Amino acid sequence: MRGILMLTQAEVNRLRRNRRYLIFTIGLPVILYLIIGKQGSKAYGVQFAAYYMVAMATFGAFAGALNGNSIRISEERKVGWIRQLRLTPLPANAYVIAKILTSMVISVPSIVIVLLLGRFYGDVHLAMWQWIVIAVIVWLGSTIFAALAVAIGYRFQPDQVQPITMLVYFAFTILGGIWFPLSGVLQSIGKGTPTYEAVKISTDVIGGASVPAGLVIGLVVWLFIFAALATLSVRSMAETV
Amino acid sequence: MVILRWYANQSRAKAHWATPLGSEMSHQGTGPVVSFENVSKHYGSLKAVDGLSLELRRGETVALLGPNGAGKSTSLDMLLALRKPTAGKIRMFGNDPYHAVKSGQVGAMLQSGGLMPEVTVRELVTLVAGLHPRPVPVNTTLRRAGVESVADQRVDRLSGGQTQRVRFALAIAGECELIVLDEPTTAMDVETRQRFWSSMKEEVAEGRTLLFATHYLEEADQAADRILVINRGRLLADGTPEEIKKRAGAKRMSFRLVNANEPFLLGLPGVVSLETRHDLVHIQTSDSDATLYALLGAGYRPTEIEVGSLGLEQAFLAITAEDDQAAGGAIPAATAMSDN
Repeated sequence: MRGILMLTQAEVNRLRRNRRYLIFTIGLPVILYLIIGKQGSKAYGVQFAAYYMVAMATFGAFAGALNGNSIRISEERKVGWIRQLRLTPLPANAYVIAKILTSMVISVPSIVIVLLLGRFYGDVHLAMWQWIVIAVIVWLGSTIFAALAVAIGYRFQPDQVQPITMLVYFAFTILGGIWFPLSGVLQSIGKGTPTYEAVKISTDVIGGASVPAGLVIGLVVWLFIFAALATLSVRSMAETV
Repeated sequence: MVILRWYANQSRAKAHWATPLGSEMSHQGTGPVVSFENVSKHYGSLKAVDGLSLELRRGETVALLGPNGAGKSTSLDMLLALRKPTAGKIRMFGNDPYHAVKSGQVGAMLQSGGLMPEVTVRELVTLVAGLHPRPVPVNTTLRRAGVESVADQRVDRLSGGQTQRVRFALAIAGECELIVLDEPTTAMDVETRQRFWSSMKEEVAEGRTLLFATHYLEEADQAADRILVINRGRLLADGTPEEIKKRAGAKRMSFRLVNANEPFLLGLPGVVSLETRHDLVHIQTSDSDATLYALLGAGYRPTEIEVGSLGLEQAFLAITAEDDQAAGGAIPAATAMSDN
């Protein structure tokens, strides 16, 4: 356990220095919120600024977990770092666990900053329990994408990972109603995505509506699917890393 | 130019080669550091390792020598629990390899092992030392590996030789009993290589066991007290550098002889292998005197006779080429190194 935490700490330090990563996870959501956050009036039955705050928090956390991990894992597999780590006393699964923990650590500031922006720039007023529930849902939801990133990063070569990641990224942002609220056909397609589920749970919490169990179950199912895919990828690549 | 290489029947010599020399050595009464028991690794129909059996004893410096594709890397991968054998059993310190690696008993450096990008050398060594149950002070490791001067540079901005030394630093970042190195001095210049081996001797002087794979025969000759020659996944020879040279035919002989009769020359006493180019004859022999006397006794009068000792390189070539020939018919000497 101590080893996993040491590795996580090293990974967090690396990411903190990575400007491109910080722009994706913190810069982009903040800028989008400043530009678009106060443009609409209502979405999903709540104040637009509240919807967009939740959407941007989800965006930063999930994009960070996905973009940060998939390409890095694939590259680190290629250069042989994963192999090198397996020669240390660190347990075999420590690398993946540390990656997921790292993306959970690094998504905290991005979620907090966006929520603060919503409160003080977007004028969103919520009860303390609502802030906490939103933050936790978005935060835990990001592990779904960390798991997906592990599955992609282990399975594919770096030059394949780039387009695959972009495809997943755009599919889940657009169909998940991250950049603009969904309606009509797009909503009926997109409402199965984990990004939509995370945003919708949060806006339901904000609007005081009861959260449909289906949304929560949906998130858990996605986590289960991606975790299973990640496990398969890691196992099948065990002899080639 | 046609080069033909013939090999005399070596079944007696070969049986001798594969005999471990263990019996006369006594090492603290403990079991072997490493043992391979009839280990095989197959990829489909390719037998990368094919029934390999060997033992390493405490304090030995052992070179694993073989041409590309001989199964060196696969063997080391299995030893380090990166790959599972298809058949057979590997033990390290009496345990399964995974356990031995995870308890920090072995420090390893593989060619295919990479470094974590975006961190400095010092940060990386500190991390890996910290993962170890018995870490060596980071500054000591940096000094031993000769990377003090680049300690604060980022690992992804180092030269090939520097990267190699950082990999070595990671292998010795913890107190371990066995060090495994796969082609450790690749990408090092001559001076760096010498420095590397002198620091390596420091490590081994403390009673560690060292296993290294190499294709620099000179290096195996100088650094190892035991050499394992493997080819096509099997152990072909096991002995001190001197023994390996001796067993391949200790002497090299050459002379000019018009109309040399190859089957006759191969039948001379002591002859291990033969190579003719026009009237120039090269012979490897275990007894140069007997070979020469028999040739003269048969009435031949060769000219420009030269007799010399065989280097490890020729011994190695002879051993592996003979093995390849036994497997796939006559193989031209020129391709014997790479083609298997």
